Amino acid sequence: MSTQLKYQDEEEANGETGGRADQARTITVAVAGNPNSGKSTLINAIAGTRLHVGNWAGVTVEKKEALFDFGGRKIRLVDLPGTYSLSPYSQEEIVARDYLVHERPDLIINVVDSTNLERNLYLTVQIMELGIPVVMALNIYDEAQEKGYRIDVKGIEEMLGIAVVPTSATRKTGLDDLLKTVLEVADAPKRRVPKKLNYGEDIETASEHVAKTFKISYPALLERYPQRWLLLKLMEQDSHVMKELNLEDQGFLDQALSHLRRAHGDDIESIMADARYSLASGLTREILHKPELRQTELTEKIDRVVLNRFLGIPIFMAAMWLLFKLTFDLSAPFGDWLGSMTEGPFKRWASAILTPLGAPDWTVSLVNDGVIAGVGSVIVFVPVIFAMMFFITFLEGSGYMARAAFVMDRTMHAIGLHGKSFIPMLLGFGCNVPGIYATRTLENPKDKVLTALLVPLMSCGARLPVYVLFVAVFFPNNSSTVIWSLYVMGILLAVLMGLIFKKTLFRGEAPMFIMELPPYRMPSLHSLCVHTWEKGKHFLIKAGTYIFAVSVLVWFMLNLPWGVEHKRDSYLGQAGAAIAPIFEPVGFGNWEAASSLITGVIAKEIVVGTMGEIYAPKKEEQEEVPTLQEDLKEIVTSFGAACKSAVSTLLYLPGEEEQEEDLSGLKLAIQGGFTPLTSYAFMAFVLLYMPCVVAIAAMRQEFGTWKWAVVGFVYQTALAWAVALIIYQGGRLLGIGG
Amino acid sequence: MNLAKLKPGQKGKITAIGSIGPLKRRLMDMGVLVGEEVKVLKVAPLGDPIEVSIKSYNLSLRKKEAEGIAVEVAG
Repeated sequence: MSTQLKYQDEEEANGETGGRADQARTITVAVAGNPNSGKSTLINAIAGTRLHVGNWAGVTVEKKEALFDFGGRKIRLVDLPGTYSLSPYSQEEIVARDYLVHERPDLIINVVDSTNLERNLYLTVQIMELGIPVVMALNIYDEAQEKGYRIDVKGIEEMLGIAVVPTSATRKTGLDDLLKTVLEVADAPKRRVPKKLNYGEDIETASEHVAKTFKISYPALLERYPQRWLLLKLMEQDSHVMKELNLEDQGFLDQALSHLRRAHGDDIESIMADARYSLASGLTREILHKPELRQTELTEKIDRVVLNRFLGIPIFMAAMWLLFKLTFDLSAPFGDWLGSMTEGPFKRWASAILTPLGAPDWTVSLVNDGVIAGVGSVIVFVPVIFAMMFFITFLEGSGYMARAAFVMDRTMHAIGLHGKSFIPMLLGFGCNVPGIYATRTLENPKDKVLTALLVPLMSCGARLPVYVLFVAVFFPNNSSTVIWSLYVMGILLAVLMGLIFKKTLFRGEAPMFIMELPPYRMPSLHSLCVHTWEKGKHFLIKAGTYIFAVSVLVWFMLNLPWGVEHKRDSYLGQAGAAIAPIFEPVGFGNWEAASSLITGVIAKEIVVGTMGEIYAPKKEEQEEVPTLQEDLKEIVTSFGAACKSAVSTLLYLPGEEEQEEDLSGLKLAIQGGFTPLTSYAFMAFVLLYMPCVVAIAAMRQEFGTWKWAVVGFVYQTALAWAVALIIYQGGRLLGIGG
Repeated sequence: MNLAKLKPGQKGKITAIGSIGPLKRRLMDMGVLVGEEVKVLKVAPLGDPIEVSIKSYNLSLRKKEAEGIAVEVAG
């Protein structure tokens, strides 16, 4: 364990020996900074597509890393979560400080917003306590200059003992200098150890007292932690550190701190925060010169409209409508295009290659209906994930996301959520998967997980084909009312479940809202693209694996034992028959319905497809097989059509009507299998039961653990069953008839 | 007087922070400290939360959170 490393030894190893072996060593650089300091943009600009996105072990906090060469040296960048402080109260802060304390990077790049120095320097002061060499990236420097700020860069270097480099991540200036400075400092860390700042006589005296006793009682502990940092944390009685140290006797602390308490009459945490902020304020006064005349800033002007008492909500609604429209309408034609490509040409090509090789039928079917269909079910999501990530990142980077949360918080807070929960929920109506990914904009892990658990209750586009089929058969005269009632049911149950979760799984302190409203800024296109690409790629590889595996599994269930005549005898039919009794009390205890629900885990619209195969198997039709040239031509022309269609939906040009699949046989068949009441119970069940495998994979991936995916799976299935039971049994009691 | 009661445009000087634990620490980490000048900029269209300016940046917080911050009205 690296925690066992002795600090002294490490420091010697990092010393200024500068031998040849040192040159080959990878330099580990942690990147720390406030949210909205342009840290992500800076990292994207430096590392680009070399970034790897994952999760910090065991927590729902994103981890980004990159390994690359610069100036003949290997640098490993580790992006720490954006934080305002290193307190022990939020997961992000604990992740950041644990990394710095226990993994001990060679140096820290501290990204600082030049237009907001004081609050950013407050974090710098805390980072300096760790005694790790620091290089400050004085970011957004261009904007500070435009505002007429004069910042004394040399002054900061002298006062803090750290290297300072002005940068602008969006304009990509100063980045080379930053990395050059990183190399310089890495080679001579001793010259760039941050100065020990003076926290005032009272604190320093108390710290000496603590140090004296601590050195005698726990000498081993002092070697395991950065000394200055440890002493300050002991004085603050930092809950996280105290738990980690598990000291037997804390009496010496009370003694050492008694004078400090008496003199300031406050808790030590506040005294420390005051001391650190005084240093940050003092430094800012020394090195920052602002112009006397302050112009009304752009942000202020925009906010006057965007947060206006009357205009605020309509503007918010319009922005949300646009977000929804862009995310789904823009990506849908490309999703369809990818889908039709795997459905048609890819399958034909696979058959054309496999059949002449003498492959048995089942292999062709496995490749076509298992493997290619599985790949297809993954890649159709790619356009929508890319589109969602792009627009969400834009909203965040531009500063509007914080305003959206500000406008919506009242409503969302009433049901125990955060203002920022609105967007994931809204996207959930299009597709739950991007909705779950969009929870990343929430900072508090509790809010994040709770929102992700509720998103699948929003009735997504994939449920619609199921509703459409059933209402056409059973409620032809009030179809829209019935469908509308299902959407409302999802929302009401989300409210109810939110309240229940708050009281059970997420008990304890209500998350707070305290949030910065950053200035509006134009995000850099490069950074947006890098971010979108990273997430899209990650989805394809990580989530794709699970989805693919499940589709292949379903193929096996549908087609084995090989050569089954009747679907009833396939493993799927057998499994359906086995679980059918569970659905007896809710009104659809037959193997057909149960089997469709099983395949529906891939995507809920597949319920319709499976029902089609079971109730009304299509006759094998001899289609004319297009040639390879025709196929290739079709792919290109259909891509052109997809582009055209994406543009036209945006401009509201009338597009070609989609051709409805002929479902008349199926409609006739389900008329025998369901009644209006059981069909409604069935629709409610389809709405609520376990999220599709893509949504589950998204949860697994976003939260780095199966835990929440499992919770979602269990609660939703139980909820679905309970609701269907109430509908069916209640309906029978009311005499609606079963 | 507390911060939640200030009207948009009103300024105040923070005299005490009544909240405790993580909330207090978070407020202090965001620069909400005793002696600091704070100005209420806006109230959200639905009446909560509020936006204030402190340490030359803009911060939003719920009224419930602002109630714990005692202020002395100034100008």
